[in-house]
Amino acid sequence: MAENYFNSLSLREQLEQLGKCRFMHLNEFDDGVNALKGKKMVVIGCGAQGLNQGLNLRDSGLDVSYALRQAAIDEKRQSWKNASENGFTVGTYEDLIPTADVVLNLTPDKQHTAVVNAVMPLMKKGACLSYSHGFNIVEEGMKVRDDLTVIMVAPKCPGTEVRAEYVRGFGVPTLIAVHDDNDPNGEGLALAKAYAVGTGGHKAGVLMSSFIAEVKSDLMGEQTILCGMLQTGSLLCFDKMIEEGIDPGYASKLIQYGWETTTEALKYGGVTNMMDRLSNPAKIKAFELAEEMKDIMRPLYNKHQDDIMTGKFSQTMMADWANDDKELLGWRADTAETAFEKTPAGDVEISEQEYFDNGILMVAMVKAGVELAFETMTSAGIIADSAYYESLHETPLIANTIARKKLFEMNSTISDTAEYGCYLYNHACVPLLGDFMKGIKSDVIGAGLQLNDMTVDNARLIEVNEAIRNHPVEEIGGTLRGYMSDMKRIV
Amino acid sequence: MAITLKNLTVDFDNRFQCKKINWTINAGEHWLITGSNGSGKSALAAILAGYGDIEAGVITNAPEKVGLVSFEAQAELIAAERRKDDADIMDVIAEGTPVHEIIDAVATDRHTADKLIEKLGLTPLLNRAFRKLSTGETRKVMLIRALSCNPGLLILDEPFEGLDVDSLSALQAHLTEVAGNTQVLMILNRLDQCPDYITHVAYMHNGELQQTVDRTDNDAYDALMQLLHLKTTELSIPPADPDFTLPPLNAEQPLVKLTNAAVRYDEAVIFENLNWTINAGNHWQLTGPNGSGKTALLSLITGDHPQCYVNDIDVFGFKRGSGESIWQIKQFIGYVSTALQWEYTVGTSLRNVIISGFYDSIGLYSKYTDNQRNIADQWLQVLGMADRSSDTFTSQSYGDQRLLLIARAMVKHPPLLILDEPCLGLDDMNRQRVLALIEIICARSTTTVLYVNHHAEDKIAGIDNYLAL
Ligand SMILES: NC(=O)c1ccc[n+]([C@@H]2O[C@H](COP(=O)([O-])OP(=O)(O)OC[C@H]3O[C@@H](n4cnc5c(N)ncnc54)[C@H](OP(=O)(O)O)[C@@H]3O)[C@@H](O)[C@H]2O)c1
Ligand SMILES: [Mg+2]
Repeated sequence: MAENYFNSLSLREQLEQLGKCRFMHLNEFDDGVNALKGKKMVVIGCGAQGLNQGLNLRDSGLDVSYALRQAAIDEKRQSWKNASENGFTVGTYEDLIPTADVVLNLTPDKQHTAVVNAVMPLMKKGACLSYSHGFNIVEEGMKVRDDLTVIMVAPKCPGTEVRAEYVRGFGVPTLIAVHDDNDPNGEGLALAKAYAVGTGGHKAGVLMSSFIAEVKSDLMGEQTILCGMLQTGSLLCFDKMIEEGIDPGYASKLIQYGWETTTEALKYGGVTNMMDRLSNPAKIKAFELAEEMKDIMRPLYNKHQDDIMTGKFSQTMMADWANDDKELLGWRADTAETAFEKTPAGDVEISEQEYFDNGILMVAMVKAGVELAFETMTSAGIIADSAYYESLHETPLIANTIARKKLFEMNSTISDTAEYGCYLYNHACVPLLGDFMKGIKSDVIGAGLQLNDMTVDNARLIEVNEAIRNHPVEEIGGTLRGYMSDMKRIV
Repeated sequence: MAITLKNLTVDFDNRFQCKKINWTINAGEHWLITGSNGSGKSALAAILAGYGDIEAGVITNAPEKVGLVSFEAQAELIAAERRKDDADIMDVIAEGTPVHEIIDAVATDRHTADKLIEKLGLTPLLNRAFRKLSTGETRKVMLIRALSCNPGLLILDEPFEGLDVDSLSALQAHLTEVAGNTQVLMILNRLDQCPDYITHVAYMHNGELQQTVDRTDNDAYDALMQLLHLKTTELSIPPADPDFTLPPLNAEQPLVKLTNAAVRYDEAVIFENLNWTINAGNHWQLTGPNGSGKTALLSLITGDHPQCYVNDIDVFGFKRGSGESIWQIKQFIGYVSTALQWEYTVGTSLRNVIISGFYDSIGLYSKYTDNQRNIADQWLQVLGMADRSSDTFTSQSYGDQRLLLIARAMVKHPPLLILDEPCLGLDDMNRQRVLALIEIICARSTTTVLYVNHHAEDKIAGIDNYLAL
């Protein structure tokens, strides 16, 4: 295995790379897809990202085809069907890679070393290799041929969203980067920008960043608030409601759709708006619960960030890859056996507001997770913009997947890397919150506060509101959502 | 006791027919009958006053005594007076029947008659010959007769038309009082005048009673109001945005040309060897059973079907798959379908939904111009939704959403408007509303319309090319 690229850099270089992040202005994309016009784009892999990015790029007038591994073609696997039913040219590496001006590596991260080693010798001189996640370059230290340009265009959304937003005439926020070691012709940025336009990303906002900042923030976000916290929260809240005698069907539904409903408020107006959806007494309660959980979970968030920075996380995961994914598959099977997963949502009507009123603890968990992830990332040197996208911004998108088919759907939509990190987090976080959960009753999860008197202390309410509004994730969130709604004049 | 009309077909001198009317008017209900001109609303009311020849069906519990006010009845009375004059022409100069006699002939309720004579300002005219009155004055006489004859049912066809302000308010006040114990059936053109005591609304179209709405059903009532708005107002299509110009199209070229088109999934062939040319100005209706590939065919044209890249398709001068983007295609097309409505789940305002038609987007992501905003507001006016421009799209009724999406599709005056089953999933009332709007578009714009429907009855005037799949 090659050396971890991040660890090979000096501290000065590390900090410089981590701090690379700039929100690009729409007029920086005036050249559209021109830099890619007439060039041959060959996508490897036709899964969640591969198919959906390819559809967008083709609809933007670019020349897209798919190189699949021989077995996928011979067995007419799903990836082959995805590509051929959609009218794309499909071929083997030997057929297509030598003709490619840009090779888009959209295979699962754990396959990247094998895939890149297989295609690199076939690539023509001066071509471009692109990724949608920097793991292979940063954590595995992949060395790419000197004459090749290496870029990253990483949509900050699941593949289905990448397509759905494009069809609407918009796009998803996207991070682009050029690997400084591989930009022989200085054309990396132009290609990455054109690629981002081709997927529609420029309309929703593009962060110009680095491979390193992308990897270290992406891993942190997905392991903690995005997937880990939602998994842990689902399991703990469900078991607590059963213990408290809430109807299992109701409990199951409250959680399955509750994440989506409450985080929808997050999407429009940040943590502040989500908290504002609660009654005053419930808001104060949620605030206090979140503060308590933040104190309890802070060491865990720090550990995740530390392990990501030192490369310990990727080492552990790669050891599991080498061990045929034994841990990953075991944890996946365990999740399927949990009471929450096995209890179908009941046929009960729950109004939008009721998800807030009866899900106070869930709201508190989202708040605690978003703020902690953001705080931890920024104090590790990740720029606020990037930390925002990797925490608050993506939370509703992941919550949507739980609404579709519970944790099973979430874990099958996210990458294996995210899934592995999610389980790691969950295993540590469930026991960590054990004592805290002992004090929880159905008033904050399942039944609502049911107060006759809604009075709150004015001074306390002001204090709580200010604490919520003044959190740094709200500040950057306000700015970035402002950019978005500048272009996206909806709400 | 309820008045019921069952399967009733009534002929009026071979000029007009009310067909297959099924209607129940329960005691205590007050009805308003609406419809466009010539829809048969007056005829329907006239049936209850005993006019017309019943060809089929039955009326039960028809009221014994009806107080009727209508232009027809007014004309009849005036004509009868004229005939009297003609009859005793001899040598005396005919004075004609004085007003008080005309009233007294029917007024069994003296108190009401005297009260209204005074309130409507007829006292100085009581001795005047009826035939010498102005139209407005004869109308007042008609009203007094109808209201003072102790009717079991009052039929008032445009009772407020042509009345001066004072008489109007006196009449309205009186009717409000009367409605407490006499059943009222009213016909009005201007619905803003609909009195509060009206409990039900009937909608006539082509001699058929198409809708009856309980006024407490707010959604149904609002929908009916809008249908009437589309049907009864002289509407024109708002203009295109002068600053929004599409690239010019070659007039020699067809808008769309499909050569040996096919759509296949796995081994299943949806259609193949399909050749189709759509020239500007030729409206088309596409028919075919479910699953015959109508939507697939359309999406080859719009670029929403991935197999458009493996077919031989020319659209608006582009050969598909030659490096054009789908936005270059979509700019020429306005598109409405049920699927679009399902996808249009963005919490944006009605105005923004219409403006989004300029940008072919679901939701609005571009800065629009003042002009575009104005045009959108004009469309909302056409739809009768001007007062709701800032409401959210998702909170609108299904039928209203459909109308808005049609306006969105038309806002840029596209060369081609594709309506994929625009009435699908709509109830009868909303179907009527959508068809009314499409007819206006076909008649009053230069857009070529491609209309898909498997219901033969939803034909649209002006579409005369057919393709069956
Ligand atoms: N999912 C997300 O939300 C997300 C978001 C942003 C970025 N990304 C990044 O996008 C990339 C792709 O992720 P994904 O989620 O789209 O993956 P995916 O859905 O699992 O799809 C992977 C595709 O690669 C093919 N493949 C698997 N192993 C292969 C091998 N050894 N050689 C060649 N092809 C192979 C698979 O087809 P066959 O098995 O049939 O060959 C499949 O079509 C990753 O770098 C990921 O980090 C993902
Ligand atoms: Mg991510």
